[in-house]
Amino acid sequence: MSRGTYLREGALRTLFFACACVAVAAVALIFLFVGWRGWPVVTDIGLGAFLTGARWASSEKAFGILPLVAGSGAVVLGALALGSPLAVATAVFLSEIASPKVRAVVRPAVELLAGIPSVIYGFFGLVVLRPIVADLTGGLGFGPLTGAVILAVMIVPTIATLTEDALGSLPPGIREASYAMGATTWQTIRRVLLPAAKVGIIDAIVLGMGRAVGETMAVLMVVGNATQFPHGLGEPVSTLTSQIVMDMPYAAGPHRTALFGMAVILFLVSMGLVATVRLMSRLK
Amino acid sequence: MNRTALSPSRILAAARALAAAVVLVSAGFVAVGCDISVGRAHELVITGSTTVLPIAEISGKEFEESHPGERVLVSGVGSSAGIEAVSKGTAAIGTSSRDLKDEEKGLGLFDTPVAYDAIVVIVNPANPVTGLTKDQVRAIFKGEITNWSEVGGPDESIGLVNRDEASGTREAFFKIVMKKERFADNAVILPGTGQVRAVVGDAEGAIGYISLGFVTPEVKALAIDGVAPSPATVESGEYPVQRTLHAFTKGTPTGLAKEYLEYLLSTEVQQGTVREAGFLPVRPKDAVR
Repeated sequence: MSRGTYLREGALRTLFFACACVAVAAVALIFLFVGWRGWPVVTDIGLGAFLTGARWASSEKAFGILPLVAGSGAVVLGALALGSPLAVATAVFLSEIASPKVRAVVRPAVELLAGIPSVIYGFFGLVVLRPIVADLTGGLGFGPLTGAVILAVMIVPTIATLTEDALGSLPPGIREASYAMGATTWQTIRRVLLPAAKVGIIDAIVLGMGRAVGETMAVLMVVGNATQFPHGLGEPVSTLTSQIVMDMPYAAGPHRTALFGMAVILFLVSMGLVATVRLMSRLK
Repeated sequence: MNRTALSPSRILAAARALAAAVVLVSAGFVAVGCDISVGRAHELVITGSTTVLPIAEISGKEFEESHPGERVLVSGVGSSAGIEAVSKGTAAIGTSSRDLKDEEKGLGLFDTPVAYDAIVVIVNPANPVTGLTKDQVRAIFKGEITNWSEVGGPDESIGLVNRDEASGTREAFFKIVMKKERFADNAVILPGTGQVRAVVGDAEGAIGYISLGFVTPEVKALAIDGVAPSPATVESGEYPVQRTLHAFTKGTPTGLAKEYLEYLLSTEVQQGTVREAGFLPVRPKDAVR
């Protein structure tokens, strides 16, 4: 290797390493910044009042996030309940059943779902889905149900792509062995492939959950943003993310601190989800 | 079927992570207030009330035409955000559809009233109710009256549509109609006047409130205490839910902000743009020149 090639190789390696560092640095900086701005929650509001307070009303200086946590939980769990089966079934179809021609249409369609801006989902939810939910549940149609349906569609690409990867990375031998035993396609999928890819599928669902927890705009447009505890599928609720967006433009003082505190919590939830996935992959 | 390191899903995931990081970082900058757009010499930044938005936009465009080389940047983010922006210096003019709160009075803001407005209670056109008393409206928004049959309408539950806490319209409504009594918790909160109108125009049981200037045939404006809202009843003072629209500056207006506000208060704009937008001109005695 000539000296010039050697130097070029070295420079490129350094460049790529620097690029990789940017991601890590960005995460660290964001966490430090959000944490630094959110820290006064402990002194200004009190950790107990913040985490377990049952009322969020900035005009009354009440900054309890429990109703928002409950709202986020209701919307996200609803989205997972609706979206995971849909996504896993889509992945099974793409990976095991569909002919190459069908796959060539369905797969890009699923991937396209990930590329649609979330405000479009929100608008669709507001204009099309909300009246339907209003007819079903009474009320105005804003609430966890509308939010969950929209989010369910939004997390399908994440879960489906990762599940397909998990199914695709199974050793081909187990599939052939199953068919050789005389198993039907359905028996092979249910008894062999899904159990074998279980960890990968759970990973996919956890990452889908991460996407659902963090989604903001679409949720903001359809959940109704009332800072009350969820008590009906069609009753308005608010979530951590949507409340941050609603309040950030005008929040000052402890209110602003509380929003950063909520951001810290969202950050910790995301970190927890990614850590779960890491741990499970190691178990596999 | 071993996937290579650069499978589409990985690239997708990486791209998504990068996009998220960019959004988060820029959100951080906005949040900390590192504002870069404080405004250059020939740029006038106006932000705040969504109610004042149409007046500010139209007059801003006309001002640009009559003042070549000057730029007027108008945005609507809510009255509280406008007041926050002008007091921090990120906007030259902060518009507001409510008066200053006590804690905002020490910020050194100078008030220029730019128009008068009424807040109108709106329902779906399919709703047979045509008028309510102020007390009934208050009871509805407090959550004490929950069915239209209690106020002479059909047996249908009332769907409350409220504004977010940054809204000047909400603040004014809270003061004038609610008499500062707490809103019901189960109201849907929408961040803009246009959204309130769209939802009420679409949902039969809904009730909301918007500025007079935003009333269109897709919703029905209710008479309050027997007086229907109209420019005439607002001007005569009969219509009971009225307020002043403000433009705040940090200290007395100077430079471009002063020129713009003078233009805004000119008879031409007050009798033209302001009236066409559905608001009422400021009375000369209130206008600060």
